[in-house]
Amino acid sequence: MNFRRIAVVAALALIAILIIPVAPAPAAQDTILFGSPVSLTGALTKEGHLTQEGYEFWKNYVNAHGGIKVGGKTYKVDIKYYDDESKNETAAQLAERLIDQDHVNFILGPYGSGTAFTVAQMVERKKIPMVEGNGAAEKIFSQGFRYTFGVLSPAKRYLEGIVELGREKGAKTVAISAASDAFSLEVAKGAADYATAHGMKVVYDDKYPNDATDVSGVITAIKATNPDIILNAGHLQDALLIHKALKEQNVMAKAYGYSVGPDTPDFVNALGKDANDVFGGAQWSDAVKYKADHPGFYDTAKAYAVAFEKVYHHRPDYHNAESSATCLAFEYALEKAGTLDPEKVRDALAALDVTTFYGILKFDSRGLNVYKPMVTNQIQNGTLVTVFPTGLAEKKPIYPAPPWGSR
Amino acid sequence: MEFAQDVINGILAGGILAVAALGFSLVWGIMNIINLAHGAFIMLGAYCAYELFTRFHIDPFISVPIAFVFLFALGYLIQRFVINYVVRAPVLTTFLLTFGLSLLIVNVALLIWTGDTRGVSPSYVGANFSIGPLTVSWAKLWTLIVALAITGIMALWLGRSRMGRAIRATAIDVGAAQLAGVRVAHVYAVTFGLGTGLAGAAGALLSLSYGINPTMGDPFLIKSFVVCVLGGLGSVQGALIGGLAYGIVEGIAPLIDFTVFGQHFSGSGLQNVIALVVLLVVLIVRPTGIMGRATA
Repeated sequence: MNFRRIAVVAALALIAILIIPVAPAPAAQDTILFGSPVSLTGALTKEGHLTQEGYEFWKNYVNAHGGIKVGGKTYKVDIKYYDDESKNETAAQLAERLIDQDHVNFILGPYGSGTAFTVAQMVERKKIPMVEGNGAAEKIFSQGFRYTFGVLSPAKRYLEGIVELGREKGAKTVAISAASDAFSLEVAKGAADYATAHGMKVVYDDKYPNDATDVSGVITAIKATNPDIILNAGHLQDALLIHKALKEQNVMAKAYGYSVGPDTPDFVNALGKDANDVFGGAQWSDAVKYKADHPGFYDTAKAYAVAFEKVYHHRPDYHNAESSATCLAFEYALEKAGTLDPEKVRDALAALDVTTFYGILKFDSRGLNVYKPMVTNQIQNGTLVTVFPTGLAEKKPIYPAPPWGSR
Repeated sequence: MEFAQDVINGILAGGILAVAALGFSLVWGIMNIINLAHGAFIMLGAYCAYELFTRFHIDPFISVPIAFVFLFALGYLIQRFVINYVVRAPVLTTFLLTFGLSLLIVNVALLIWTGDTRGVSPSYVGANFSIGPLTVSWAKLWTLIVALAITGIMALWLGRSRMGRAIRATAIDVGAAQLAGVRVAHVYAVTFGLGTGLAGAAGALLSLSYGINPTMGDPFLIKSFVVCVLGGLGSVQGALIGGLAYGIVEGIAPLIDFTVFGQHFSGSGLQNVIALVVLLVVLIVRPTGIMGRATA
């Protein structure tokens, strides 16, 4: 084959490429584009992926069922993700990029109170509504932001259920340790305030640094107060450290509760039998008995859980559910608004009042969903079951917890 | 009594810090490289223990030498084929390189093991005994004993063996060591291997008490740095004393409780601050660290 022949073939190929019509790209108007900075690497990788699963699960449902009807027109949905590396500032930068360069219509929140707070500042500046389901610190909602809505119950509620459950069983004293971030401190303060207001005594209430690698000093101090209930507001790593240290120092309480930890399978996997009888506060569990009052998604927690497990091969935890609920808030607000105009969608979100598989979605004037109660779970024989409030309970709580070594 | 218990806990926790810091200290003291990937190597050591425990039911204490050997080999190769090209470059270059290495290792770990937090819990975790009102954890006591043994062996080896002397000679004067027939590239690779090997050993020991995930090494990198400066650069005894001192300071920090200008401060929340204040005081009094010599 000589050079001329190659040139002819190349020219023909080029012409072919130029004249064969390319399928026209779908007009941007037919798709509602959401954007989300989410932690796919870094310290919050695990939770970031759970968040993404919740979003994707909703997206695939909506697209498989025809899309969302907004003002007589049906739209497919798509979500663009960027990895915020679990860093607060990065999350805000990525939100800016999603809004300015990718021209997303709306923002789905990142994972965690720290990132949600910086992104909330960004969407406020850009006047693009954000719904988030993974940042429960009230700090986010006490700044007068107009464009941020949170579908979760506030941080202060996380451990209230365990305190109340203990109180009903006769517990008198509570010890609470907390990591030094806004979310954990709010959780601890909420539990302490609740205990004090209900006639219990808070015998230990202190914080430790966020990256603590040894908490034995905290445990020694708690041991000295001999509390009925030992609570921790922190992170998974803290929960593991504290639970192991409690056993090592032979600290016996009637109940142990963690704001974060018991709800992820990691807790049971890492601690084995010692994880038994531990309580955890949760935004949602598949035992909740809400019935959705609007079509457009799974109408009960059970239906959601069954379908979810088929796709992701694990039981949905509350991070998954609250993330799907985040999307649902947009779905119903968009249908009601009848337009993609950010300002009108914001107003529709502010006025939203629907019940879903996840519970009620309704925001107070700050944008926080104070109307949905929390549930309290307990690990019984290696399985997470809902034990409180009594109306939703799958099983009776085990109280007091048996001593170490006999669980 | 709380004080005595806190001191005991501090000493027990300090052993691991000593081993982690010793590896960091050798690399810094001898090669003048501040190894920002040290935390990542600790993490790899912990995963070694985790994998051996879950797959073959090998006890984490037995995994300590295995993790050491595995990470020694990895460290040797990394020094020989990556860091050696910039070993004489300004400190900022090695800073950037080891930071990049750290990112790479952590993200590969994320691909392999995902972000799940795992734990190693042999039946004896949590077992304890009492001396009067004090409680001591068996696992942590053995951890301390192993840590002391490791630092003891390192001190002997560096002091007596041919290779150990070559390492120290290189630290004092590279040119003279070369003239005396020391193969500097090999010495550097062995030193870096020791640093990563010790990180691996520390990681395996940590697996018993600390949750294992790809970013678990971060706080230990910072602690290694502090312990190493506190004890004195490149000194085995320094790392040991620095580690135990840091452990005790962190352990008793929760007992400190004070109010200044109506603002309440709890020692428990200020553990890191208190440890760094102690470091500052030591550096003002003894700028070379507790065990450091003026010409380290």
